[in-house]
Amino acid sequence: MLWKEKYELGVEQVDNQHRELFRRVDTFLHTLRSSTSWDERVRKVNETLDFMNGYVIEHFRDEEEYQKKIGYPRYEEHKKIHADMLNYVVHVTKEYKDKGYNEQLIQQFAGRLLAWLINHVAAEDQLIGVYAKEKGVGTNG
Amino acid sequence: MADNLYSTFLLATKNVFELMLDLADITDKPVDDINTEGMYDISIGVTGDLQGEVIYCFPYDTSINIVKIMSGMEIDTVDDFVVSAVSEIANIISGNVLTMLSEDDIKCDIQPPKPYDRKNDSGSEKYSVHTASNIETSAGHIYIDIRLNPAK
Repeated sequence: MLWKEKYELGVEQVDNQHRELFRRVDTFLHTLRSSTSWDERVRKVNETLDFMNGYVIEHFRDEEEYQKKIGYPRYEEHKKIHADMLNYVVHVTKEYKDKGYNEQLIQQFAGRLLAWLINHVAAEDQLIGVYAKEKGVGTNG
Repeated sequence: MADNLYSTFLLATKNVFELMLDLADITDKPVDDINTEGMYDISIGVTGDLQGEVIYCFPYDTSINIVKIMSGMEIDTVDDFVVSAVSEIANIISGNVLTMLSEDDIKCDIQPPKPYDRKNDSGSEKYSVHTASNIETSAGHIYIDIRLNPAK
């Protein structure tokens, strides 16, 4: 999963976290998509899934705090988008574990997460950077 | 109405493909018949001021190319991962269409993407807006089949 310069908002803290999030999703995807058998992969997949999910929660929280700090007008709307995705992440992860680490479920989750994250960072998150620059506020995070 | 919806879906598709996949050279052509050989069809249900569904037809090659671009990984088959990723793209395009329509005071909601089985399509359902487009990109082509009625 490739990081592109165009994803940068010009807000140091958020950009650093986005890069880290892309790295963790990339590690998860490579582990999930490797060609070894599911039995061989599943322990490592679970580790990288937990490592990635933890960072999703941390990043959403920090990004929302930043939006609040700069008085971002779309804060509530953005928070709801995060909450909806977080609910999906929590729900699927639980179902995956409850069903004894079902590979199909986690492959479907990974596909959706990949497309969702690129769109979210390339579209919705860019508006935060535009606002911060327009108002001349908090681009150092 | 049909022309307006066709243009809106086209614009949203171009925007999403450019933003997410860096695909800039996109052309379109209205089509009457869709060749469904080697395709995966995704239906997005629409409710509200417009009702019906929009079917996104992703040829296997196009699906693989799109997911390769997004993931930077080697992909060689259309599996659960690929289907889920292109379904989310269909969802994102439809969401963008809804935002554009709401600017013209047309309020709709969309349902989560689901597989569409064209074999069970009897063709008996009539839609006041029934139009389809073949959208060509350097990653391959997709069809968008719009089937909508205004709410009564």
